[in-house]
Order: sequence, then structure tokens, then C-alpha cells
Amino acid sequence: MKLREARNGIYRSQATAAATMLLPMLALLVLLRLLPLANAMWSSLRDPRLGATGYVGIDNYLRVLSDPVFLKTLNVTAMFTAIINPLQIGLALALAVLLSQRIPAVGLWRTLVFLPAVVPQAVSAIIWGIALRSDGIFNALLHQAGFSKQGFLTSPTQALWCIILILTWIGVGYWMVILIAGINDIPPELNEAAKVDGAGALRRFWHITLPQLRRPLLFVLVADTVANFLIFAPVQILTKGGPAHSSSIIMFDIFERSYITGDVPGASAATVLLVALVLSVVAIQFRLLPGGDD
Amino acid sequence: MSTAQQRALRSLNLVIAIICAVSALAPLYWAAVGGFRHESDIFRYMDPPSWRTFVPSPATLDNLAILREAGFFDNLVHSMIVTVLSVGLGLVVSVPAAFALAVLRFRGRNFWFVLIVFTFLVPFDSIAIPLASMFRTLNLQDSYTGLVLPGLANGLVVFQLRQFFQGIPTELIEAARLDGLGWWGVLGRIFIPLSKPALVSAGMLLFVFSWQSYLWPLLIAPSPEYTLAPIAIAQFNGDHTVAYGAIFLAATITAMIPLVPMLAAQRFFTTSLATSGIK
Repeated sequence: MKLREARNGIYRSQATAAATMLLPMLALLVLLRLLPLANAMWSSLRDPRLGATGYVGIDNYLRVLSDPVFLKTLNVTAMFTAIINPLQIGLALALAVLLSQRIPAVGLWRTLVFLPAVVPQAVSAIIWGIALRSDGIFNALLHQAGFSKQGFLTSPTQALWCIILILTWIGVGYWMVILIAGINDIPPELNEAAKVDGAGALRRFWHITLPQLRRPLLFVLVADTVANFLIFAPVQILTKGGPAHSSSIIMFDIFERSYITGDVPGASAATVLLVALVLSVVAIQFRLLPGGDD
Repeated sequence: MSTAQQRALRSLNLVIAIICAVSALAPLYWAAVGGFRHESDIFRYMDPPSWRTFVPSPATLDNLAILREAGFFDNLVHSMIVTVLSVGLGLVVSVPAAFALAVLRFRGRNFWFVLIVFTFLVPFDSIAIPLASMFRTLNLQDSYTGLVLPGLANGLVVFQLRQFFQGIPTELIEAARLDGLGWWGVLGRIFIPLSKPALVSAGMLLFVFSWQSYLWPLLIAPSPEYTLAPIAIAQFNGDHTVAYGAIFLAATITAMIPLVPMLAAQRFFTTSLATSGIK
């Protein structure tokens, strides 16, 4: 009886401590994340011109999904996501493996590769925007190498690729640092044992590094995908989604709908679709890599 | 592998590492050099390239005066205030929450954890627009409260810290409890000292989020009294109010500031995240 009481006492103290520790964060998350999301959901089902409630069901969704501009945006976003995520994660992994080797001044190289990640995206976008101008340094280099001038950000076939290049330059170092931390967590005995058994670098990467990196890789995969669905500043600053909507990534479309076209219900519907898209991609990734989500 | 082969491989690794580092640095270097050029020289000396492509010659400090006049240094101070508040207060609310989720047993723990994961999967920028109109109703526009508050609710930071806290052995917690420490004591005396690398990386996440933020300050703080540095630079660029050289200088300063905490934190990245006495 007494033991039980004592145990209950411990549990009660845990519950009280948990409440005081969690409450501030939960309150912030509910008020600053969930409430505006609920707000967007509610506003996506209304037409404010129809009075106080103005409930119109899924009309806004049907309207947005039959809008050729939005369909183009979805297309561009899909292509952007399919290219940039494997590119960034592959490069980050290669860099992490390289820069966790014993190399002279490795800390310096790591810091330099990481540096673009802490520069505000807006600032990097402006620097790259000036470099990619028709009289910028890239065209000067191309001219020197004997090629003709390129449109870059003003070309419908190149603008999205330029944004992918800029964002890869920005993001790779950040994901690399997380993967380096993961590589350092691998018990050195594993690699030494494999070396004794005569396993080459490639086999050690495939059979030791990669499986041991599963957790940080899953984290990078999820976080990078989510981050890339949010891309806004480079598009707004450099291309405004153009030319001909060729670089219209979804966040910019939503911004344009609410602030330039003034279509708040349409923007809300697009927001809800974006959130649903992100959540389903993440759910699929968790499924593909079992055991990382405990 | 022979020693000669090993040495060759190591030099190859070094060469590739240098190439990567130089490509990461090159655009920033180009901007930094541009910040000390006369306006008429910005697009000169590129085609054909010469030694002047890489060195600002003749160099000038005129851009500094242009930036001072445009109020850019006030914008930098605003950015720093917002970032310091975001990192400090962000850790204050995230660390206990992560600890509770990793260590304490209470009803609904999994539910709250899933809720937190869900919130970081909801893109902040996508709800920024409805949130901004909520903030305006509460009269929080053009205030540090308005600028800082949304950055504190970072589920990703809680998630990361929780993952790290879960790796701390329960024996340590039980021993501390038997010694009469309360749960806040366990957090403050055992977990925080053992978690410096995780705290640094969580602080870095909050730092990057805050220093990077663009859409939110654009929406919530339109007044010049609260304009942050990245917004100010984008305005210089968009309105052609300030010359390219000054934009480059402003960009360089804004890019360099994160170096200070980064270099201070670098030793935490070179050592493993888990070898802080808990293995």
C-alpha cells in the first residue's frame, strides 16, 4: 500500500513537472502555428463577399485547382522538389564524408562550406542576382570561355535552374554539418574492424557509414524537403515567379494571391493544399525508412 | 593500400576540399570586394579578368557613408536584437519541453510529441499570412514582440533536443532522483551540462531561423524603426535607392556577423554530438 502511494507520488510529481515544462511551448505552438492554420482552413471554405459566414464548401479549392496559373505552379514546384532534394542531400552527404576525413585544416574547409547557410537567403539572392545579370560575372566568364551570353534569371528555361543552383549553394553546408555530427557518432571500432577484415573505403561507406547514418539522414531528408517547400525570398526577389511562371514555386504563388491579387480565400485554399502536400511527403518518407521515428 | 597511395588519396581529398570551400566562398568574396569598389568599377575588370577582378583597386570607403546615411546600421541593430531574443527565449521554452518529452512519464506524452512534430511540419511561412493578420488585430505589428514571438515556437528545436536527451542514460536520472533532486534539478544539473553540443546546435537553428527570416518581418514590421537588415538590403536593391557597391557592402556585413557565434561554436561541431561523457 505504502509502496503504491510512493509510486503514485512520483508519477504525480512527474505530471506536474511535465505540465510546467511543456505548457509555455505548447501554448506558443497552438497560438502561433495551429490557430493560424485553423484560420486558413476556415477562410478557405468561405467567400467573404457573401456576408458574415459565407460558407461555400470546397468552391475555393475547385477554383484554385482549375486555375492554369496554379496548375503551372504545382508543376514547377514538383519539378523543383524532385531535383533539389536529391541534389542537396547527395552533395551534403558527399561533403560530410569528405570533410570528416583526416585532412589538413579540415575545420576551416568545413566552416567555409557551412558559411552560406548562415547568410540570409534574401542577401544571397541579391548577390547571385547581380552576379547573374547580363553584364554580371557569370556572363563575363562565359564570354571569356568562348560561349554566348545567357539569360539566366530572365530565361524561361534557365530561371528555375538558377534558383536551384543558388539554393543548393546556400543549403548544402547546413545539412553537411548535421551529417558530419552523425558520422562522428559512428563507433570507430566498426571501421577499424572492417579495415582489419580488408574492406575498402567504398564497402565501408556502404555497409557501415550509410546504415549508421540512417537517423541523421532521415532527419535531413524530412527537414530539407520541408524547407524546400517553403522557398520564398529568392523567388520574390529575383524572378517574381517568372518569366512566364517558369519559377513560380508554391509559396510565392500563395503570397501573390493574398497580397497582390487580393484573393485571400484562394490563398488559404492553396495554403491548406501545401500543408497537406508537405505532411503526405513526410509521411511517405517516414514509411520508407522504418525505425527512425521512435 | 600502400603509404604512397594513401598519401596521394589524402592530397586528392585536400584538393577537393579546397575547391568546395573556394566555391562556397567565391560569391561572398566577389560581393565583399564589390563593397569596396567605386560604383563605376562594379562591372568593370570582369571581361577580360585581370588582377583587378579579385582586388578592389582603386578601393574606397564611400559605400560605408552611403549605408550610414540610408540607416542601414540601425537595421543591423534591429536584426541583432531580434536574433539575440529569439535564441535566448527560444532555448528557455524549448529545453524544458524537450526534457519533459524525453524523460518524464505522463499521460498524453505521445500525443503532445506528435502535436509538436506536426507543428514543425506545418511550414511557418505558409501560415505567416493569416498569423500576420491575427497579430495586427492584437496590435503587435511594428514591435519586437511581434517580430520575435513566432520564432520561439520552433517544434524542430524541441524535436532535435528530445532526440539528444533520449540518449542520456536513465541510470543518471535515477541516481539524481535518489539524491533528492527535483525534475528541474535533473534538467539543470545533469541534462544541461551534458548537452552543450546539442544546445549549441539548437541555438544555431534558432539563430539561423531568426537571422534568415524574410517573409515574416516583411509582413509584420513595415515601419523603418523595425526594419531588419535583410529587408533593408532587398529594399535598396528593389528601389534602386542605393548603389550596387553599397548593397554589396551591406550584404557582406550581414553575412559576416553570424561568423562570430559560428567560430565560437565550431569546436562543438568538430567533437562528436554524443561523446560528452555519456557513453
